Amino acid sequence: MSDRVRALSEEARIALLAARELGDGETCFVGIGIPSDAACIARHTHAPGLTLIFESGVIGADPPTPPLSTGSPSVVEGAPMIADGLSVFGALQAGRIDVGLLSAAQVDRAGNLNSTVIGPYDAPRLRMVGSGGAHDIACLAPRLVVVMPHDPRRFVERVDFVTSPGGGGAYAADRARLKLGHGPVALITSRARFAMGREGWELDAPLAGFSREEALAGIPWPAGTGGGDAIAIEDDAIAALARYPHLAAA
Amino acid sequence: MSASRDKRASLAEAIAGNVHDGDTVFIGGFGHLVPFAAAHEVLRQRIGGLAIARSGTDILFDQMIAAGAVARVIFGYLGNPGIGLAHAFRRAARDGTVEIEEWTNFSMMLRFHAARMGVPFMPSRILQIGDQPSGARGLKTLTCPYTGDELSAIPALVPDVALVHAQQADAAGNVQLWGVDGDTVEGALASRRIVVTVERIVTTTEIARSPERTRIPADRVSAVAEVPWGAHPSYAAGFYSRDDDHYRAYDQVSRDAGELAAWLERWVHGAGCRDAYLELVGAERRAALEAGLQGRTRE
Repeated sequence: MSDRVRALSEEARIALLAARELGDGETCFVGIGIPSDAACIARHTHAPGLTLIFESGVIGADPPTPPLSTGSPSVVEGAPMIADGLSVFGALQAGRIDVGLLSAAQVDRAGNLNSTVIGPYDAPRLRMVGSGGAHDIACLAPRLVVVMPHDPRRFVERVDFVTSPGGGGAYAADRARLKLGHGPVALITSRARFAMGREGWELDAPLAGFSREEALAGIPWPAGTGGGDAIAIEDDAIAALARYPHLAAA
Repeated sequence: MSASRDKRASLAEAIAGNVHDGDTVFIGGFGHLVPFAAAHEVLRQRIGGLAIARSGTDILFDQMIAAGAVARVIFGYLGNPGIGLAHAFRRAARDGTVEIEEWTNFSMMLRFHAARMGVPFMPSRILQIGDQPSGARGLKTLTCPYTGDELSAIPALVPDVALVHAQQADAAGNVQLWGVDGDTVEGALASRRIVVTVERIVTTTEIARSPERTRIPADRVSAVAEVPWGAHPSYAAGFYSRDDDHYRAYDQVSRDAGELAAWLERWVHGAGCRDAYLELVGAERRAALEAGLQGRTRE
């Protein structure tokens, strides 16, 4: 089993692990890429009643092929409703959506995400795409799941720019006072699951087939040693990958 | 604006009459119905010093920056959706040649909503923690007079002119737009003038057959031009699918400023007549995109 998981592509492993964060009957605000892949896999395994919501306003999506844009034809294909952007962000702000899924270029210990600049804001080494809906989702989602490939360059002590604010102790008071969502609860990498503690991300458990050392390699903050057993992926979840050839084994 | 006057115009006339140097321009299209043909005409007419605004942008923003038409970008996201960075924007940010005013997708939608509703701001809970508020210039906060909640006051943005592509309209400019809207209608109705391109002009009788599809009323529209394939390489539900390969090719060509200049010469400046543009796309690809609607009937 663990060899089989290890042989999967990095994207497939993240999507399979992240899918486990989504419950049947929940509503989920998703972005393009691995977040959308994870939600699709959840829908086709343990959570057939999961509602996927895209910022373009599409509600109840089940894209048959991976979309490039939240407004792409495959997002619309078979969806029961197209609302508009204000409606879905409004529902998020009103607390009517259960969980958000985000990725970014950088993540730090407190769960801050950066998709804006590498280097100083006014003289960036690399100008990136900016927030899009990421800041909004990070502020408003009752529960946020962060997905990242295991790439040490992406794990930093402090992100260069806080596009999407994190959680844990650093933000608890602000989030309560401003009536924002709880913020990030889980960081899913291609090797492990991390949970948000008071001090920041702590290793929860590695993915089956990976050691704790591999899960922690290149993480620049003390992330504990992980109490949980390695996370096994069910066969039906691996089988669900067949629907998504772009996630095929590396 | 009259609700009955014939507002049909050529694309060149529609742009020349309504888009001026230094305007703030709302660009419609949320992955769907991005007004490429209309904005390319702005570039051909060398209209400059523009502020261009919307929430989630498309590679059209990158092309307008590359063409030198843009003094300021006002946006939530500026990239090549699902593929990566906007390379001309990346270079302009590095070189300091474009002014950056960055918000988030939700806050941009709220800015247009406030403008549409005729109020100075919309309250929201976002943009109060993290570094993002500093990119959103002049953002202020307030205390709710009812609950005492601390809120951000997201300021209205009233664009001078909106460029919108839609499926169909009548000669007076009753605009029918279906499929993904995102915030296209919101941004259009926030704007002082609205210039519309459509896949086809239809009769008012045809419009009245499904009035719920009319999203922009004629009295708000300044000009309407029939421009088939006016959203390519984005798509028009019921007409043609999204040309994802075109976006991938743009990612490659736009990495180099020189190559991108040549690309603009070919696809924008050299494609003044619509037939020339459609020839560049090619009959085979157009047929594939029309067939790419995945079982949906062509309307």
